[in-house]
Amino acid sequence: MSAVAMSSTRVVEQTDPRVNQRIERQTEINVNYYANHPELIDDRIRQLDAEWDVERVLEMNSASLTLLGLVLSTRNRSWLLFSLAIQGFFMQHALQGWCPPLPVLRRMGFRTEAEIQSERYALKALRGDFAQGADPRRLSQAVHH
Amino acid sequence: MVTTSAERVPANTSEKLNERIWDEMEHRIVFYAQHPELIQNRLEELDREWDVERLIETEGPTMTMLGIFLSITGGRKWLLLPLFAQGMMLTHAIQGFYPMLPLFRALGFRTQAEIAEERYALRILRGDLESIGDAGQGTDVRASVAFLASRVRPT
Repeated sequence: MSAVAMSSTRVVEQTDPRVNQRIERQTEINVNYYANHPELIDDRIRQLDAEWDVERVLEMNSASLTLLGLVLSTRNRSWLLFSLAIQGFFMQHALQGWCPPLPVLRRMGFRTEAEIQSERYALKALRGDFAQGADPRRLSQAVHH
Repeated sequence: MVTTSAERVPANTSEKLNERIWDEMEHRIVFYAQHPELIQNRLEELDREWDVERLIETEGPTMTMLGIFLSITGGRKWLLLPLFAQGMMLTHAIQGFYPMLPLFRALGFRTQAEIAEERYALRILRGDLESIGDAGQGTDVRASVAFLASRVRPT
């Protein structure tokens, strides 16, 4: 395990392989369902655009708890250690991928942005977004919308 | 007030910078269309690329921990630094705004979604998703081709 992990897979590498498999299996089920219901793909892509990825959840939780610790430190300064520990772990998450709440969030089914995008592009392909062939400029438009 | 995940960063970036990031990607796609032998290397670079969330998640805790340490040695007024940094982190998580975002975007840091645009454009150039358009196949076959070709780490 290197000190600074790959960006796209650092969370997946720090997740129990069985949990990763379950998340991927769910994505496969989704893709299969929407392949059979192509009229629902537009709605599903809007849902995916709104889905909270694991980074967004961690940013919100760590900031809330750290602020709580800072406020409580006005009564008892040892609460600063609480804020410090959370921020230390959050930094570890940024560099290396793991932090204490991650196993729980992954079991709850929170995906990385790369995992959400993999469902999104499977659906775009099924919708025929890339059917016009591989003209680079049209392709740049097609992946963007 | 709660911004959609996909819009959180672009909605808080100037249109000019968003367009510049996209233009640069388009130029690269044109380049790699002419140099397909370099696509695999580029895909590996994309896996290593630091996205803007990862940068914020490194910078935010650095400022916060610095402020907490300074408050122990240099007086409690230093707690305003972690308070501000974490207030901004919470704002970023919910609405997207972040004080350092204009700088990070100007430096070219992208979201994972923008990185994915380039990743999938390159995979399509390489032909990974070619057989999906084939209407002659059954739906289940098309679904499984689409799923397998779109995996984060294709086998």
